[in-house]
Amino acid sequence: MSALALTRRPNGKATGLLIAGVLIFGVTPARAHRLEKRFKVDTHPVITIHNPDGMVTVKAWTRREVMVVANHGSEKVEVDAEQVGNRVDIMTHQLVDTIAPEDMRADYEVSVPEDAELQIHNDSGAVSVANVLGDMNVETVAAGVELADTAGYLTVKTIGGSFQCVRCAGRIEVSSISGSFRLLDLRSLHVRAQTSTGNILFSGEFLPNGIYKLKNYSGVIEVRFSPADSFDLSATSLKGKVVNEANLTPPAHRRFFSRIGNSLFGSINSGRAKVDLTSFDGTINILKRQ
Amino acid sequence: MPEADAIRLAQQGDAAAFERLYRLHSRRVYSLCLRMVGNTAEAEDLTQEAFLQLFRKIATFRGESAFSTWLHRLSVNVVLMRLRKKSGAETSLEEVTEPDEDSGGPRRDFGAPDLTLSGSIDRVNLQRAVEQLPPGYKAVFVLHDVQGYEHNEIAEIMNCSIGNSKSQLHKARMRLRELLHEALRQKAREERKAAGNAAGED
Amino acid sequence: MDCKEFLNHLDPWLAGDQRREARVHLRGCSHCRGLVEDFGALRAAARELSASDPEPPAHLWNSLRAQLEQEGLIRTGDEAGARSSWLRRLFAPIPRPALAGAYLALLIAAAFAASGPIHRRVNDYRWVQDTSTEALRAQLNTTETATVASFRDPNPVVTASLHTNLAIVDNYIALCEKSVREDPQNEIARDYLYTAYQQKADLLAQMADRGDYGR
Repeated sequence: MSALALTRRPNGKATGLLIAGVLIFGVTPARAHRLEKRFKVDTHPVITIHNPDGMVTVKAWTRREVMVVANHGSEKVEVDAEQVGNRVDIMTHQLVDTIAPEDMRADYEVSVPEDAELQIHNDSGAVSVANVLGDMNVETVAAGVELADTAGYLTVKTIGGSFQCVRCAGRIEVSSISGSFRLLDLRSLHVRAQTSTGNILFSGEFLPNGIYKLKNYSGVIEVRFSPADSFDLSATSLKGKVVNEANLTPPAHRRFFSRIGNSLFGSINSGRAKVDLTSFDGTINILKRQ
Repeated sequence: MPEADAIRLAQQGDAAAFERLYRLHSRRVYSLCLRMVGNTAEAEDLTQEAFLQLFRKIATFRGESAFSTWLHRLSVNVVLMRLRKKSGAETSLEEVTEPDEDSGGPRRDFGAPDLTLSGSIDRVNLQRAVEQLPPGYKAVFVLHDVQGYEHNEIAEIMNCSIGNSKSQLHKARMRLRELLHEALRQKAREERKAAGNAAGED
Repeated sequence: MDCKEFLNHLDPWLAGDQRREARVHLRGCSHCRGLVEDFGALRAAARELSASDPEPPAHLWNSLRAQLEQEGLIRTGDEAGARSSWLRRLFAPIPRPALAGAYLALLIAAAFAASGPIHRRVNDYRWVQDTSTEALRAQLNTTETATVASFRDPNPVVTASLHTNLAIVDNYIALCEKSVREDPQNEIARDYLYTAYQQKADLLAQMADRGDYGR
């Protein structure tokens, strides 16, 4: 009888069998080591997180406290959180010189005041941040990064990790080598996104006076605009193609345009935002938002 | 020590570099805080908080904007957060709380005022009037008219559009004009009353 | 010009743009004249406010410094001295001697790449090509050999990602160099090339850093 079938029976005998099954077959239970710590902080606390592998989830709450809940399975790593002034440092330490990959993992759930500033370094796994309004610096190697409803000055750097940002305000600068980006419903006036081989999707409004620069080497850059948007567009793919559904008028504002490769320049409505799309040999799609 | 060198050294924890950056920028930051909150004790506290935050985060400064712009954005945020905490309400450039006639605020002038401000504004009255502005208006007025920032710099500092900055500045000046005119009228009323009393005694 | 139009022009007027239609309007409108006088007085008073601003009190720096020391943000004495070599001073985020030359050249090249209007860049790029690209590429290749040979990381995902992305960037550099050779005037190709060099230096720095983390 499978462990799954056993758990459907709401009786003590099933539970006993399940536990026996766990012990016999060596199924690892939920994380063996757990740390929970709380720190009282003032306005604008700084939270730093250094983790080689695992899930890092940061959420805002209304308390003037930072709460850290960390879980890890192996005794070969140690998770630590300490406070220095108005800064909370969270770190995963490796306790032995040689460590197997499966032993490195630690998962964090961190609750912070919404005005907190974050500095996160997580090599692999995933990083997720929601509703935090302070400035942020996130660096990963392979971990994906997902942000929602953030504000402040946001810098994200990955090597191969993907990036998604939904309803983010403030200033956004993201770079990667092979990671792809999804920028959805942004409230930001300044977006700079650069990846080499990843794709970039921008779907949302170009705000008046905003500056949006999206750049890749190969892959696809796709922007989905609304006919109500107002922006100056410059789109250039040196060796790839530019596909356009926008009804552009000649540029509303004088600029020096370098006509190299496949280029498209023009304005929609009064050209209040500035949109620069550049690719080396990828495809640039400028499509109407459905 | 040039500022660029000081920034690099401060990123490595050099004490002299920190002090150099502080000496270069503390007066303007303190001035901004003082104009926004109106008292020296709180301005000192806010100045210290702004520099603390700056130095904690200096390693993340990548030079994409001018250092002073970055610092002033931080300072304005520190001040606005403090004002928000005191008022218990959201403080943003978009939100305006204007005193209306029922709440006892100054009367609106719908016609041309009979007194001109030219030659009549002293520092004390102006500072008092500035303190009565909503935080968003106050920030833009202090940054533009007092400290001399341009609208494109204010837009970067306040994370708003240039048009927004211009519009808020105009509203701030109109409000200050009303407040200062009311102060002048009040002064004129008091002078007339004092003159009347003196004549009565005679 | 009516009052509404004049109000839209008020800021430029105060800044000195006193065009004819605005002057004509002011002659006939006491309300707007009053505004101009009052706003002018306000601006002058605001500037005086700024000029009279005091310095922050001396104890503020002392108190700030004490807090910075307590938080470990200020390093003093020998530690600071040892770190102040001219190379490390030049690129504080990644102070690794092995990359010093490459990063220095990159900073110079990137500074030229980023400065000046696009139509002036071509001449600057030509100078940079002649004097630093060859040296830069050689430095990066030497550093890559040494770094990859000594690179160790227990996390196979990280190891795979760094190696894969290094290959991506090397391929990207080769294609950009080819484009630049074929068309030296192509400033977009040059821009991509310098970006690729920066990415490679960054990657190598990350690989050199492995092994220090978590100890």
